[in-house]
Amino acid sequence: MTINVFQAFLIGVVYYLGLVGTPWLSLLGSISVLYKPLVAGTIVGFILGDPVQGCIIGATINLPYIAFISAGGTVPVDPGLAGTLGTALALAAGVEPSVAVTLAIPLGLLGTMIWVAHMTVNVTFVHMADKAAEEGNLEKINFLHVVPPQIIKGIMCIIPVMVGAYYGVDVVATVVDMLAGKPLHILSVIGGILPALGIAMNLRAINREGTIFFFLGGFMMAIYLQLSIISIAVFAGIFAYFYTKLTVREGVQS
Amino acid sequence: MSTVETNMGEDRKKKLLKKDVVSAFWRWTFFSHANYNYERLEATGVVHSMTPIIKRLYGDDPEAYKACLKRHMMFYNTEPHIGGVISGMFIAMEEERANGVPITDEMINGIKTGLMGPFAGIGDTLWQGTLTPILLAFGISLGIEGNLMGPLIYTILMFGIMFPVAYFMWMKGYSLGKSGIQSVLGGNLLRTIITGASALGAMVLGGLSASFVNVTSPAVIKVGEVQLGVQADILDKLLLGLLPLGVTLLTLYLLKNKKMKSTNVLLILMAIGVIGGVLGIL
Repeated sequence: MTINVFQAFLIGVVYYLGLVGTPWLSLLGSISVLYKPLVAGTIVGFILGDPVQGCIIGATINLPYIAFISAGGTVPVDPGLAGTLGTALALAAGVEPSVAVTLAIPLGLLGTMIWVAHMTVNVTFVHMADKAAEEGNLEKINFLHVVPPQIIKGIMCIIPVMVGAYYGVDVVATVVDMLAGKPLHILSVIGGILPALGIAMNLRAINREGTIFFFLGGFMMAIYLQLSIISIAVFAGIFAYFYTKLTVREGVQS
Repeated sequence: MSTVETNMGEDRKKKLLKKDVVSAFWRWTFFSHANYNYERLEATGVVHSMTPIIKRLYGDDPEAYKACLKRHMMFYNTEPHIGGVISGMFIAMEEERANGVPITDEMINGIKTGLMGPFAGIGDTLWQGTLTPILLAFGISLGIEGNLMGPLIYTILMFGIMFPVAYFMWMKGYSLGKSGIQSVLGGNLLRTIITGASALGAMVLGGLSASFVNVTSPAVIKVGEVQLGVQADILDKLLLGLLPLGVTLLTLYLLKNKKMKSTNVLLILMAIGVIGGVLGIL
């Protein structure tokens, strides 16, 4: 099976529509639906004329990403790229679904670069929006919020996927081979570190006396007591109740 | 308390219509992350979703209008469906403020910064960590057999569950904010809520850090015949989770004490990953 330019473009569009935060299908329709290889693979299958095989490959690629969580503004891996380009290449090459997974996993790591790039470029539009806020211009903030980020993201998503899908298996396999080992390891190391940024930014925003001790408490409960986030939240609620009873009444907190 | 009550009298000039609150909800549902970025995350998403609210409440007062825009341009990041309860609350607070109730910037910011962490933690755990894997497991088991109902049913269930949950949380937050604020302003309650939410938030963030920051060392130190695995034999003996904790605290230090921009901190973190990965330390 070969992939023509138009099909390659459509696959790029599917990837763009699924990337977290694209507004067309709502946030839920991106991260929870089209970002999932199960759904993305099926749609890529429709584009390439074999939805059933696309669904099988997509479902198989989705397996390692079942527990995927994007938190604190980071994605540790990119199931979207694995699901779209991975399915397309596996279908075109006619490989077994299990082989498709090994092809898709490195793609999922490569995708994090697109994520980091667009999250960084978007900072520019926030600064422009700050100026608009000074002018009291809400329409301009809304324009900056919606239009420029989508253009940037569209280009960043569609072009690499289009090139990858059109020039096909050989090119992608070569690139993945070149990156095998160290570079892919480094991408996964970075993927593990970056969630710290979102968490630290939130801690900085709270910025109250004793914040760090509560943070350490929660961390230790997760590590040593192996508690889930929900149960930590319940304990934290109990601690917070007594903490406020003690401090607010004595007027310690301002 | 009595002054607050007189302000809350019958002649409220500025009243949000239900359609304003619902319209803000749909704007948030679709556009919350449209300009997601490393510096302020969902900040412009908040302002975008608040558009009908800001116009209704401050449309006739350019200074208050501008102040409201600037107030909501601050760093904001939460799980957008279950965390929609926070939006409902600060929308209600803005409505009270527009009617002369003494609600300060600090109160609105305190509600946002105090609650966004806990609701991010709880919301992501329920939605991405619990509901999604369950629905996926179901969808994949059908899809892997080549049954197109797998992805279809998965999609329908995901929308069918999460949209009503998100709508409910949003409206609940609004009605909580409306009914709660009079009594809250009377005593120490608002201060208590902000202090409590900050403590709760910091603790949940600790749990999130332990779960999502994933740093280990594959390095092995050879001392004569003895091989020491850095992770298992040294770091884990000192303190489990030492590296993720260290990375998170370093990030906080750079942001808060060194007052670095988040984009620069991002570059430093990436450099740590590259150097650590190349040298085989991480």
